[in-house]
Amino acid sequence: MNPVLPLALALAAALSAGGRLLLWQQSRGQDTSSLFTLVLGESRRAFADQMFLKADAYYHMGNYPSVFDLAQSDGKTHMAKERAGHDPHDHPQPPPPHRDWLEAFGSHFHPTGHRHLEAFRDGREILPWLRLAAELDPHRVDSYTVAAYWLREHLNRVTDAEAFLREGLRANPDSYEILFELGRLYAENNRDVSRARAVLELAINKWIRQEAAKPAPDTYSYRLILGQLATLEEQAGNLDRALAHFTRLKHFSPQPDAVQKRIVEVQEKMSGKK
Amino acid sequence: MNTVWSLAKVVVLEMVRRKDFYVLFILTVLLTLTAASVNLFNDRSIVRYLKEICLLLIWLSALVIAITCTARQIPAEREHRTLFPLLAKPVTRGQFVLGKFLGCWLAVGLALASFYLFFGLVSATREQHWPVLNYLQAAWLHWLMLGIVIAFTLLGSIIFATPSSNGTICFACAAGILLLGRHLNKVALSLAEPLQSLLYTAYFILPHLEIFDVRELIIHDAGLIRWDMFALATLYAAAYTAFFLFAAWLAFRRRPLN
Amino acid sequence: MEATVSIENLRVEYSSRDLGESTKVAVNGLTLRVGQGEVFGFLGPNGAGKTSTMNVLLGFVPPTSGTARIFGVDVREPIARQRIGYLPEQTYYYKFLTAEELLRFYAGIFGIPRPETEARIDAVLKLVELDHARKRQIKTYSKGMQQRVGLAQALINNPDLLILDEPTSGLDPIGRMQVREIIQRLKGEGKTVFFSSHELGEVETVCDRVAILHQGELKTEGRVSDLLKEHSANLEQIFLKLIGYPPLP
Repeated sequence: MNPVLPLALALAAALSAGGRLLLWQQSRGQDTSSLFTLVLGESRRAFADQMFLKADAYYHMGNYPSVFDLAQSDGKTHMAKERAGHDPHDHPQPPPPHRDWLEAFGSHFHPTGHRHLEAFRDGREILPWLRLAAELDPHRVDSYTVAAYWLREHLNRVTDAEAFLREGLRANPDSYEILFELGRLYAENNRDVSRARAVLELAINKWIRQEAAKPAPDTYSYRLILGQLATLEEQAGNLDRALAHFTRLKHFSPQPDAVQKRIVEVQEKMSGKK
Repeated sequence: MNTVWSLAKVVVLEMVRRKDFYVLFILTVLLTLTAASVNLFNDRSIVRYLKEICLLLIWLSALVIAITCTARQIPAEREHRTLFPLLAKPVTRGQFVLGKFLGCWLAVGLALASFYLFFGLVSATREQHWPVLNYLQAAWLHWLMLGIVIAFTLLGSIIFATPSSNGTICFACAAGILLLGRHLNKVALSLAEPLQSLLYTAYFILPHLEIFDVRELIIHDAGLIRWDMFALATLYAAAYTAFFLFAAWLAFRRRPLN
Repeated sequence: MEATVSIENLRVEYSSRDLGESTKVAVNGLTLRVGQGEVFGFLGPNGAGKTSTMNVLLGFVPPTSGTARIFGVDVREPIARQRIGYLPEQTYYYKFLTAEELLRFYAGIFGIPRPETEARIDAVLKLVELDHARKRQIKTYSKGMQQRVGLAQALINNPDLLILDEPTSGLDPIGRMQVREIIQRLKGEGKTVFFSSHELGEVETVCDRVAILHQGELKTEGRVSDLLKEHSANLEQIFLKLIGYPPLP
């Protein structure tokens, strides 16, 4: 019997089954446009988490705790922090001394010591992993915000940062974190006050809609957005608006005295103007 | 030594004439070049992810070459009966084992040289510097690690029934040690006795292959490894390799040839 | 003069897989001598112990008891094999090597210096008529060519003792004739040839002395001409009679 016929039939059956499966998947509302989604399914989210951790490991130049070591106390990675470098006070305890001679010997063959990429002006090196994390899980918001932060703050690639944030916004239209980062970009890099204001106010509205009713809302993000908006208005000369934002901020801030100081400064500016 | 060297040359010739290395090398090149072609925020100077991908492929390929090449040596000699005309010559079983080890190790060394040369070229296209000494240290340690793997695979090829089972077991052991070896002591300390002592004993007995995995140092442009530690690592590898080869010789001596 | 091959009370046992038997005796108290320059035929039915005896001589298997020496050296010493050439019954060699490379490899094991190696390779390849195919990989060879490669590798070190296990197995009549001619030539050069074969007609033609083994024991040994005269029969009939095979009607 000619083997071509059974092979052709098998190929046709496989193609039909594949097409049918694809239609079934689409009818369930799953995103099949991404190759990663097709190949990995829902496990891509786990891979995305690993890629994000990889970026953090790169930030620490390869010296990174394993699953067997203690995790970060706040559960967050360092590079997600806003500031260049990070607050040394929220860093976990230094690693214990070597448990045995073998561990001491082995320490010569992998990175040790706490160092950050930014100190060596190589922040770009974490970008591929953040890009990959975003590809694997477009709904992982901090892939976009952290990458944008590094692009605009350390690498002066503002256009690329904006494009990436917009890409993140397309996948996550309700994300106040991405809107906040975009607002910062317009405020600090583009100096486009009206645009920055519009985006930051949208971020506030999104936050209120999503978080305000929660028993434990994400007040950290709210404080950041409010603070950014207040600073923006103050620098633009809209002191009454700045005052209103600082006043709201004071209610949520863990350091109300510091916010009160800022309120007093703005009031003095207002009275000086008059 | 002539005998050992003659045996080794035949193993190298075999590897050169088989397709395994070429397939894996081409795969490594293609995957690395694909990764290099990805547009990452229009920045062509990002290099570390590329180094990581390339080194991962090199490590996987070299491990596959080392284990598959070694696992089939002695069983193939038995199966194809080439062992008999060979041992009918003035060749001791020890020389035979040593010759096979040396051949596999040299063959893998040639493969590694090709891989690391490619890696050097790839990283040089993006970086402004070429840390040759660092790469040489990394390649040498990698080669030493594969020497240990080849030695215990050779032992496995005498003990286990088939090359495929030997290859699977050796691959699992090598991968397990590379991934978990460094952390066994931490796990041991979290356990109660007697498991703690057992695991800690295993921790000290097992060959710590992960010591030779210095990819992180290469990827993140760390400095050179201290030469005294480098020498100690070489001795460490030599000791384990010698141990496994000695065990292989003892096992092979006792095995009937047919 | 010291015998080339000297076997004294050789006993070879293997552990048995059969129920009720812990060991199987392959060779039982074999005593044999092969003189220098002799062509010695080692005969017996399947399972007689010929291969076991050869395995002991070649160092593949240690004797359970008794001794075996080649040129006065205990066979357990690797140096005993420095002056021997061995042609196994089943000729498998490294298929990825060419004939030339294979011979060079074996010459390296014997420690033959490079210039002499090249001369020896040319000589043996010419002798076995494989000169035209020396650069082709062995995997492209026919069965007959592989057998001839086997003969070539057995001769590469210009051995003083040649151990051949069924040397004409699988060969066509021309091939068998060529092997016989080679054996005669080696004898003319004063080499000793020790071979096992089932081709009794061939053995009768070529051998000076023969030994017949059956169930691990030596049944007879002596010059071919003497045995033929003593039993007034050809070698095949003598063989069948000694192993207890019923005579033909």
